Amino acid sequence: MRVLIIEDEPRLAENIARSLRESAGYAVDIANDGQEGLFLAESSEYDVVLLDLMLPQMDGMQLLGRLRQAGQRTPVLVVTARDDKESVVALLNAGADDYLTKPFDLGELLARTKALIRRGKGQPSPVLSVGDLELNTVNRSVRRGGRPVTLTAMEYRVLEYLAHRPGAVISKTELLEHLYDYNWEKFSNVIEVYISGLRRKLEDGSSRQLIHTLRGQGYVLQDGTPHG
Amino acid sequence: MKRQDNSPTQNSMVPGSILRRFLRGSVLRGSIRARLITIVVLSQTLLAAGLLFSGVFYTRRQLLSALDAGMQARAMSVAALVRYAEDASGNVYFDDTLMPASLDPAHPDLFAVWTERSGLLTRSANWPAGLEIPPTGPGRWKFKWAHVHYRGLRVFQVPVLDREEGKAFRPQSLTIVYAAPMVQLDEQVKQAGISIALSSLLLLGATVLLALWGIRRGLLPLQELAAEAGLVSTHHWELHLPDDAQQIKELRPLTQSMTTMLARLQHSFDQQREFLGNAAHELKTPVAVLKSTLQSLLQRPRASEEYRAGLEHSLEDLERLEQLLQWMLRLARAEQWAHGALRRDLQVIDVTATCEEAVERIRQVAESRKATVHFSKNGSVMFRADPEDLQLVWINLLENAVRYGPEGGSVEVAVEREDGGPARVIFEDHGAGIAPADLPHVFERFYRGDPSRTRTTGGFGLGLAIAKALVEAYGGTITADSAPGKGTRMTVELPVGGNKERAKLFSD
Repeated sequence: MRVLIIEDEPRLAENIARSLRESAGYAVDIANDGQEGLFLAESSEYDVVLLDLMLPQMDGMQLLGRLRQAGQRTPVLVVTARDDKESVVALLNAGADDYLTKPFDLGELLARTKALIRRGKGQPSPVLSVGDLELNTVNRSVRRGGRPVTLTAMEYRVLEYLAHRPGAVISKTELLEHLYDYNWEKFSNVIEVYISGLRRKLEDGSSRQLIHTLRGQGYVLQDGTPHG
Repeated sequence: MKRQDNSPTQNSMVPGSILRRFLRGSVLRGSIRARLITIVVLSQTLLAAGLLFSGVFYTRRQLLSALDAGMQARAMSVAALVRYAEDASGNVYFDDTLMPASLDPAHPDLFAVWTERSGLLTRSANWPAGLEIPPTGPGRWKFKWAHVHYRGLRVFQVPVLDREEGKAFRPQSLTIVYAAPMVQLDEQVKQAGISIALSSLLLLGATVLLALWGIRRGLLPLQELAAEAGLVSTHHWELHLPDDAQQIKELRPLTQSMTTMLARLQHSFDQQREFLGNAAHELKTPVAVLKSTLQSLLQRPRASEEYRAGLEHSLEDLERLEQLLQWMLRLARAEQWAHGALRRDLQVIDVTATCEEAVERIRQVAESRKATVHFSKNGSVMFRADPEDLQLVWINLLENAVRYGPEGGSVEVAVEREDGGPARVIFEDHGAGIAPADLPHVFERFYRGDPSRTRTTGGFGLGLAIAKALVEAYGGTITADSAPGKGTRMTVELPVGGNKERAKLFSD
C-alpha cells in the first residue's frame, strides 16, 4: 500500500510516515504544502491520502475540492485542529472520507488508515480471505488452510495488495506504484522475485494454485483458474 | 444591596419586625418605596399640623371676637338697666327685673356695676361668694373660678342711659364688669380642631394610598427593565429596552450606561473567547507533534540512539510549545492592560532612548541575517509609560522587519515628532512586503499570511498583536503600509503631551 501525507509540520509528517512504514509496512510519500500535495496526488497512485487542513500555498479544503473535481476516488483522511461540528460537516461534504482531530493517537490514525484502504477496495473486514487463504491485516499474519505461513515484509505487502482485490488483474507497474514510494522505478525487477517466493510458500503442499500469472497483463489472486 | 429586601419572605414578615427595622433605618436604606412613602407621610403630617394649628387659632380668634362683641352688648344692656331714682338726689338703682337670661344656663354670665359716687351698685345674683374683681385694670382679661375659665370685660365711663331732661344733678357714670364663661367657646374650638384633625387624617390616608399606587406605577418601568436585563446572558447579549424605560428621562442615564456596559462586556467576552479558541487551536499542532513522536517511539523496541534522538526531538518540541505559551501570556497581559485592568506607576521616559536600546538588543539577530539597522532621531521625546512595554513593542516590530526582510537587507528606524503633534516611530524594511489581502489582518493574533514562512522563521503570529495591544493601551495607534516586492513600513503614533486618552485608560 502507498500513502500520501500532506502536512506542513515536518516532524509530524515524519512521525506519521515512520509509524505507517514500521507498523503497516506501507510506502509513504510526504508533501509539505498544498501545491506539492495536489501534484503528487494527481500524478501518482495512492491507496489513501492523509491531509492536513492548514497548509501553505493551498489549503486542505481547496485541495480536496480539486481532487474530487478531477474524479480522484482515493480515500482521504483529514487531520485537522478544528473539531467544531460545522467544519466537520463541511469537510465530509467536500469529499473527505474520514477525519481525525489533532492531537490524535497514532494507533487510531493507523487503524483508520487501514480501514479507509479496505473500504476503498470494497473489503469490509480486516481479515481478507481467498479460498482457504486467510490474511489478517491487523496483525499482518497469513494462514493457508489453517496453517500459518511466514512471509518476508515485502512478500506480505505484495500479497496484501493482491488480497484486497481478489479476482482482479493487477499489473506489475500497479504493484510497484503501490508498494514503493516515489522512486519505485528502481525496483522494477523485484516483483517477480516476490511473486515466486509467495507461490513457493503458499502453495507448498497444496494442489490448488492461488496466484496466477497472465502473461503481458499481470497477476491475479484467485481460488481457481481465471477466465481472461 | 440587601438580598432579603427582595425576597418573598418580606410579605410574611410580622409588622413588629418591619417597625424595628424601620427604626434602625434598614428599611429606609433598602427601599425607594419606603423612602418616598416616608417623605410623603412626613410632609403630609407637617401640612396637617399646620392646618390644625392655624385652623384652631383662627376659629378661636373669630369666636373670641364674637364673644367680645356679645359681652360688650350685654354690658351695655346691663348699663341700660341702671336707672335714676325718681327724685332729685341723682342716686341710681339697678332694675334687675329686665335682666335677660344667660346664653349658657349651666354657667351663667357674671356682672357687676360700680358707680362713681357710691362704689359697687350691684352684682349678678350668681356672683360667686369670695370672687373679688376690682373695677380697675385692663379692659379684657381671663380668669378662672371654680374650674371654669371666664373672659372678663371692663367698661369704664358708661353714662347712665336713663337720663331725664331737666334734672339738675350731674349725671353719673358707671364702671361695668361683665364676665362670660368660655366653656362653650373652648368646646367649639375643640370641635373645630377635631374635625380638622379628622379630615387631615383621612386625607393623609388617601394620600398614602395614592402615593403607594403612584410609586408602584412609577417603578414599573424599572421592574420591566430589570426583567429584560435578567434575560441578558453570555449567549444572548442583546438588551431589549422597554419603550417606557426609554422614554423616562430619569431612567435614560441608566439605560444608556447599561447599553454601553453590555457592549463593552460583550466585546471583551468575545475577545476572551476568541483568544481561548485561537490558543487551543494553536496548541493542538505542537501537542500532536509531541504526542506522535513519543507514540512512534513506543511502537516497537528501539536502539538507545533512536530513543535518544526521539527524546531530543520531544524536548525541542516542548521548548517551542513553552515559547508559544509565553507569547500567549504576554499577549493576554498586554490586552488586559489595553483594557485598563491594571493600574501601574508610570514614569516619564524618553521614547528615543527605549528605541535605541531595542535596536541594540536586536543587533545580534540582525547580524545573523546579515541585515543592518539604521537608526535616526531628532532629540528626545518624553512620554509617560513603562519602558519595558515600549521596548517590547519596538523589539517585536524590529524582529518582524529583520526576519521578513531579505538576507543582507537593511531596516530603517526613525523617531520623529512634529510640533504639537504625536510622536512617530517608523520601522521600514525592504523585504517582500505583505500581500494586500493579508494587510488588514497582520495585527490579528495568530494570523500568518504564509504559514510555511513562519515555520522557518520561528514566529507564532503574535508579535504584531502584542505590539498593537500595548500601543493602544497607551492611547496610540499602529498602522502597516506595504508595497509587495518593495517592503513594509510600520508606523507607531504615540499621543505625546496631550495623552488624556491614555490617562483615562489607566485610571478607570
